[in-house]
Amino acid sequence: MDLLSVLNPVAQQRGMMNIIRPNQRPSTLEGATVGLVWSGTHGGDLALNRAGEMIQERFSNVSVNFYTGGNYPSPPHIVKQAAEECDVVIGATAD
Amino acid sequence: MIEIEKMGKPAVPIVSGRFTDDAKASSKAFGMPDLQFVVVPRIYRNLADDLCISQTEEVIDDLIQTLTSEGNAVSVIEQQDSIIRFEGEDRYDAVLKMNKDFTLKDWSDALPIYPPTEEKVRELISGTSLPTDHVVCDMPPGFGLATVEKIAVNAAMAGAKAEHMPIIIAAVKCLSEMGSHGGKSLLMSTSPHAPILMVNGPIAKKVGLNPGSALGPGRDNEINITIGRAFYLCLKNIGMWYPNKMDMDTIGTTRKFIHCVAENEEMSPWPSYSEDRGFSKTDSTVSIFVTDGELDVQDQGNTSAGGLLKTLAYGITFGNTTLGASHAEGHQRLIFMPPDVAGPVGGEGFSKQDAKDFIHSHANTSLGKLIQYMPINDARVDDRWNWLKDKTEEERLAIEVPLLHSSSNIDIVVVGADRAKTLVFPSGPTAVTVGIDQYK
Repeated sequence: MDLLSVLNPVAQQRGMMNIIRPNQRPSTLEGATVGLVWSGTHGGDLALNRAGEMIQERFSNVSVNFYTGGNYPSPPHIVKQAAEECDVVIGATAD
Repeated sequence: MIEIEKMGKPAVPIVSGRFTDDAKASSKAFGMPDLQFVVVPRIYRNLADDLCISQTEEVIDDLIQTLTSEGNAVSVIEQQDSIIRFEGEDRYDAVLKMNKDFTLKDWSDALPIYPPTEEKVRELISGTSLPTDHVVCDMPPGFGLATVEKIAVNAAMAGAKAEHMPIIIAAVKCLSEMGSHGGKSLLMSTSPHAPILMVNGPIAKKVGLNPGSALGPGRDNEINITIGRAFYLCLKNIGMWYPNKMDMDTIGTTRKFIHCVAENEEMSPWPSYSEDRGFSKTDSTVSIFVTDGELDVQDQGNTSAGGLLKTLAYGITFGNTTLGASHAEGHQRLIFMPPDVAGPVGGEGFSKQDAKDFIHSHANTSLGKLIQYMPINDARVDDRWNWLKDKTEEERLAIEVPLLHSSSNIDIVVVGADRAKTLVFPSGPTAVTVGIDQYK
């Protein structure tokens, strides 16, 4: 029999050293401002707009804001604006 | 979406099916492994409008649920075994088992690897004066901590030697300096963007890098292949560049068996690539180019500078041009120019910059062909192209424009053996060059 010992090649990821938990969710979307952030890729706008429409159909007093920086990745000022102006945000990764 | 979560607001991406593992891997890379997302079956980009809408409608309940309730997943910081043991009937059997295990975990390139034993790894670490636990950089795209030891483990798997370590360490550092577009986004793209390493300076000859027929398989390229492979394994196991997780190629490319070449400085009529970038002739450097294809541009008998360069200029007019605003000047051409082209061109008094200017001014092509890849009404198209909306396809095809924004979008590296066969790569963004000697 032979026992071969080797070293693990996989590195520790910086992101996994200080894990951030997702924020607490609202219990309902009633009266919420919903942000739609589009990366500019074909079809993502259609998906986001339809999702916004359907949320408005199901919940009352929902405002929908659409944001785009015209290209991937969304520019920091667009991301910041969406975070400041909305209660929840939806994005679409078209690829 | 993670940035929005970091700003204090719940955020949910809609992710296309093939990208589920990518979303998980990216969430880990950016520190939020429990990011919640909703999955639709198909990628939106090339999907008909009605299908974009219908597949979104099908997940609306899931989307609302994800926006209004906490997820169940609670990730913990993972601890990996630093030593892995394989028991076999004999050493050969144990090595086979190790290879099978590493391949199943996708830690290798699926070719047999050398066992990264502690003894071998220590031997490689002796090739640099840096401490074992020194963090060279956070290696993109997944931002693993590139310690000297982890680099050495992956280099050992490729069969590298201690004398190769300064080159491999410098290459790892180099990738981390390429910025978020070249160093991360392009690597994760559905297009087959692949890095290629190019070494200048005395170390190339010292370790035996081949500056001639430098890119093929076989004995003559043993060192080129080994160093390129070591870098690839680092990119995979330190940079987390795992296929279908952080490397989302649609088809893929053999260029991702990453190669390393040396510039053929002895056969070049010009200062080396690294001298152009401010290094001295005695400095050893590594440069990384991100390539997106390759083409052999043949010349069958021109001998004058003008004739040879026109062949090259006309031969590189394939691909597309950037219509978006954010990477408007990003498309480039990396030219591996063989001595049989560089020699006559330089011999007629052309500097390297003269050659680039000549190629740029003669590399014109149809605007209609260059922009076919993106519908002109796409939201990403920059306003400066608005005038094209009034043109017919025939009119667009008849408009001749320069292939590249400027001659600075052309890189020339002299590589190759006898014969005027130039290898051209669509490339970009701008390459990065890092000194090697600091890692000895």
